[in-house]
Amino acid sequence: MSLTSLDVTGFYALLRREVLRFVRRPRNTFVPPFITNVLYFSVFGVILGERINEIAGVPYILFILPGLIVLGAVSNAFENASFSIFHGRWNRYIEEALTSPLSYSSMVGAYVLSSATRGVLVGALVALIGAFFTSVGVARPFYLVAFMLVITLLFAGLGVVGGLWADDFDDLTMMNQFILRPLVFFGGVFYSLNEIPATFQQASLLNPMIYMVNGVRYGFLGVTEVDPNLSLGVLTALTLGVVGLNVVLFRRGYGLTD
Amino acid sequence: MASAIEIRDLTKSYGDVRALDGVDLDVPEGSFFGLLGPNGAGKTTFINILVGLVRKTGGEASVFGYDVEDDYREARDRIGLAPQEFNVDRFFPIREVLEHKAGYHGIPHDEAAERADEVLKRVGIYDKRDTRFDWLSGGMKRRFMLARALITDPDLLILDEPTAGVDVQLRHELWETIVDLNDSGTTILLTTHYIEEAERLCDEVAILDSGSVIEVASPEELMDRGTDDIVVQLRDPPTAVPDFAADDDRVEAVELDGTRLVVTAQQGGLVAPDVVQALDRAGHEIVDLEISRTSLEEVFVEMTRKGEGRATAEVEQ
Repeated sequence: MSLTSLDVTGFYALLRREVLRFVRRPRNTFVPPFITNVLYFSVFGVILGERINEIAGVPYILFILPGLIVLGAVSNAFENASFSIFHGRWNRYIEEALTSPLSYSSMVGAYVLSSATRGVLVGALVALIGAFFTSVGVARPFYLVAFMLVITLLFAGLGVVGGLWADDFDDLTMMNQFILRPLVFFGGVFYSLNEIPATFQQASLLNPMIYMVNGVRYGFLGVTEVDPNLSLGVLTALTLGVVGLNVVLFRRGYGLTD
Repeated sequence: MASAIEIRDLTKSYGDVRALDGVDLDVPEGSFFGLLGPNGAGKTTFINILVGLVRKTGGEASVFGYDVEDDYREARDRIGLAPQEFNVDRFFPIREVLEHKAGYHGIPHDEAAERADEVLKRVGIYDKRDTRFDWLSGGMKRRFMLARALITDPDLLILDEPTAGVDVQLRHELWETIVDLNDSGTTILLTTHYIEEAERLCDEVAILDSGSVIEVASPEELMDRGTDDIVVQLRDPPTAVPDFAADDDRVEAVELDGTRLVVTAQQGGLVAPDVVQALDRAGHEIVDLEISRTSLEEVFVEMTRKGEGRATAEVEQ
């Protein structure tokens, strides 16, 4: 069998396996973000949002919608990749792929793409929930699609690193609760940068989540607090770097081989 | 004959511990090759280097001429592995697990589905195809491990303790399947604790001890190096018996207990006629004669015990 046909078929087989794993378990993958986001929109958007003034001419419920989409998309992309890799290592069935003739880049490609797919699907689910609570339009479709792809790929790649690094399930929880969530909550999902003191504004610019939330917000609403092109460029470079790192780690067997 | 596996000066260290210490080995293509050794001898480390689960520290290892690191894709495509530990995807029914494994080896989905059914029938668990691995019995799990190794139609089948913990009937069924595969040209590398398994199945065995190969030979050659017992039952208790040891270097001991004479000798089958003739000439009537052949297990224990002796001597130095 030629390596080219093996590349295509092998990559597709692993991608299919990874996608089926989360699609067949909606109670673990799609129901939790559905419930969480219904609560977010109800409490922050409707109950509290009616008492909050418009931000940049946008009603509060609409202002938080892109941020909630980013929150759902990146956390699910990260969680999918980190869980799948770690669980495979923990139960050793990742060896089914590792002992096969798949190239390391094919393995990384399948894990990253499947996890990004879950992120995009959850993002779309959050958008649908948002559309139930408020009228949603897409002002800049190109930017919306581009940012969604880049941020889910980036966090899927980071999830691969997390899955390789983790030694037990507590490490996975720690990454999600103590690193990912603070970044997201201080990433301008629920507030505008203009409404916080200048010092915190400057500090916030070090948080990559600011650029992601604003990028997706620009795609939906056409308003942003940071340059969308610069954000997209930096995030794309970061994504390529992280996926490249994934391939290097797989090639070196980090967390995978003795 | 070309080599399916070619190993030169292979080493693997974990810190100060040397799991493999300069292993040289050739496994001929089409052979049924056994890898024997006590726990911790380095058998699983050796296998895992071939399939890429362990990185070698030094030396060279190739499978059908493909280096296991530089040409890892070509090498791994030719190997089917049934490891000792269960490392099976728990999320999917076993039929789908097989389809996925075949897919990773570049087999298109439709063909993979056909092959999955074939191998499940071959190992006798087709009716469990929609069951997840965790719900199979212990014996079925072992059968599945073999099925997964066969799904890619490998040129080299590596079986790490394939019959560990299975009952006698299943063990014989698995043996039959493996022998059929070997007859059809598949090279088999088998590690086992069941010496009987190696005796019955292997063309050649390597004995690995403390990370080094201490012997490579056929089971028959190894057994010839051990001693056999020629047990002779005489009609009447003799007052004296011929001095067999003086006449034949192969005789190591002679023991008389009433009418029962035991001659311990190398190559007992060849020594026995001489013993019978000598007793006959001395006027003893033989009622019964039995040759108790040395087992591979006894030779194995003896050889690895010598290994322990070497290791102790090295430490003392």
